[in-house]
Amino acid sequence: MGTSSLPDAGATAVAPAMALTRPKPRRRSKRLKAWFPYLLVAPAVIYLFLITLYPGVYAIIQSFHAVKFGPWQPVGFANYVKLFGDYQFWGALWNTFVIGSIALTLQCVIALTLAFYAYRDPWVQGWRIIFLVPMLFMPSAVAFIFKLAFLDARVFSDLLMRVGLIDSNLSIQSSIWMSRSLLIIADVWQWTPFLFIIFVAALQGQDEEVEEAARLDGASWAAIFWNISLPLMKPVIAVALILRGIDITTMFTNVFIITKGGPAFGTETISYFIYRTGFKFFNFGYASAASVVMLIITIIIAQFVVKRAFVSVRT
Amino acid sequence: MASQRRKRGENLVIRYLILGAWALFCLMPVLWFLSIGLRPRVEIITPQPIYWPTFSLDAWHMIWEDWPMAKYLRNSILAIFGSVLIDLVLGIPAAYSLARYQYRGRDDIAFYILSTRMMAPAIVAIPIFFLFRNAGLLDTIWALMLIYAAINLSFVTWIIRSYMLDIPKELEDAARTDGASDLRILWEIIIPAILPGIITASVIAMIFAINEFLFTLLIASTPNAYTMSVALANFTGGSDGVIYNAIALVAFLAFVPVFLVVVAIQKHLSRGLTMGAVKGG
Repeated sequence: MGTSSLPDAGATAVAPAMALTRPKPRRRSKRLKAWFPYLLVAPAVIYLFLITLYPGVYAIIQSFHAVKFGPWQPVGFANYVKLFGDYQFWGALWNTFVIGSIALTLQCVIALTLAFYAYRDPWVQGWRIIFLVPMLFMPSAVAFIFKLAFLDARVFSDLLMRVGLIDSNLSIQSSIWMSRSLLIIADVWQWTPFLFIIFVAALQGQDEEVEEAARLDGASWAAIFWNISLPLMKPVIAVALILRGIDITTMFTNVFIITKGGPAFGTETISYFIYRTGFKFFNFGYASAASVVMLIITIIIAQFVVKRAFVSVRT
Repeated sequence: MASQRRKRGENLVIRYLILGAWALFCLMPVLWFLSIGLRPRVEIITPQPIYWPTFSLDAWHMIWEDWPMAKYLRNSILAIFGSVLIDLVLGIPAAYSLARYQYRGRDDIAFYILSTRMMAPAIVAIPIFFLFRNAGLLDTIWALMLIYAAINLSFVTWIIRSYMLDIPKELEDAARTDGASDLRILWEIIIPAILPGIITASVIAMIFAINEFLFTLLIASTPNAYTMSVALANFTGGSDGVIYNAIALVAFLAFVPVFLVVVAIQKHLSRGLTMGAVKGG
């Protein structure tokens, strides 16, 4: 399936690995030896081409066509022209950015605070297990927990009324910012542990003697954390935030289940925009154009941010 | 001296206040959701939320009798284990190649594998949908297996590579001078030595596969290939509205095994979650 796209796929990025799929003499010659590492890595690379390069090329071609149910009609750049004038597309980019950056900032601050208090605590293993719990629920289940608590059963409103903070039920669904906050809270609840686990491990892995020396010199615990531990953790924080950031920018499940992008498209993320144009309105050419724009953004970020972060943490 | 001790005491109070508050915030929704699963449907959405519901196993009977939950469970397990197997078969040799050999383009290949992790499911969803449709794989667990494997392959390869990098090269060199082939060294020395890494990678791949939602939603459009994750979204069953108590029970059904496995590999979790970038703890 899809093998027809492979030759041009190999030509671009990893040509040597592709050349190796042809059968080779069995004898353990010098040439085989030189190619052996390529042979080992080739199956994985070919497999990944199938889900990244093939769809990428497919989406690029499709984005220059009008595709509904019948045959593809070439339309040139029409999809892109329409896309760049589409306020819903820009809105989706903006929503993704706003929701994602707030959620990521909150998670990072909370996880660092918790890690700071937990990493030298005698019960650190216990805290880790408790804090892990939200992360181990299926995201679709978590979405339903928050949909029920905040929207359908209105438990959140009820609790606020009981402590006297509000007088009547919040109408979360009719407010863009309350709906966005709901998505942010759900994401913070489920994924702060991801950062917490990584930060605690990084802190525990640091040299205790440096801390001890600073403490004997009279430095406070907070000062040690701020001036010694935190700077040492920078590469780890970068990697953790990137991995988390990738998942946040592709946020789909919560939007699909909790808000459906509403009200007034105020919580529609870019993933949901593509899903809606493609699989609800069957406007595949248009959805592919949006995919290609997102793909380009992804490649730029991968090249300039991710590569550097992963290299720095390894050395 | 005395003031310092008092300060430590205050620090402890703040510490446990903060950690305790977050623990409560983590656990309260979970316990409340468990209570949703164990109450009759009429007590879920009410004008006033009910905090002390009547105990009922309605939902438990419903998920097994009214829905083919056993089938969804079987689909999940087959697709997940199949995908992890594919990942190990492809990922272990790839990781070995990236960790142990010097060759042109190696770092580019490693980074390419890593970068597939950044691909948003929504970007590739449409082409993959047509790819599977043309191959006649729509609505089958084979398609799910292939897609889960693809999603997790970068993770698995990088985690295993990181563990392989930790093995001292002398261990291999000794075997090599004894005349062992590269493949035999991989099979008889490397793989046993990095077993914790392989298990960690498998567990994390398993979690991501259970969680996967968008692809499963698109590929499995009939109950024939539903997994637990998507079956949940379909308990919103039309005229019936959302059947929350069934959703809650299924959520816990999936949670318990995952929780147990993760607690068992706790020590390796941070390393796994960062694709091997963070060691220790």
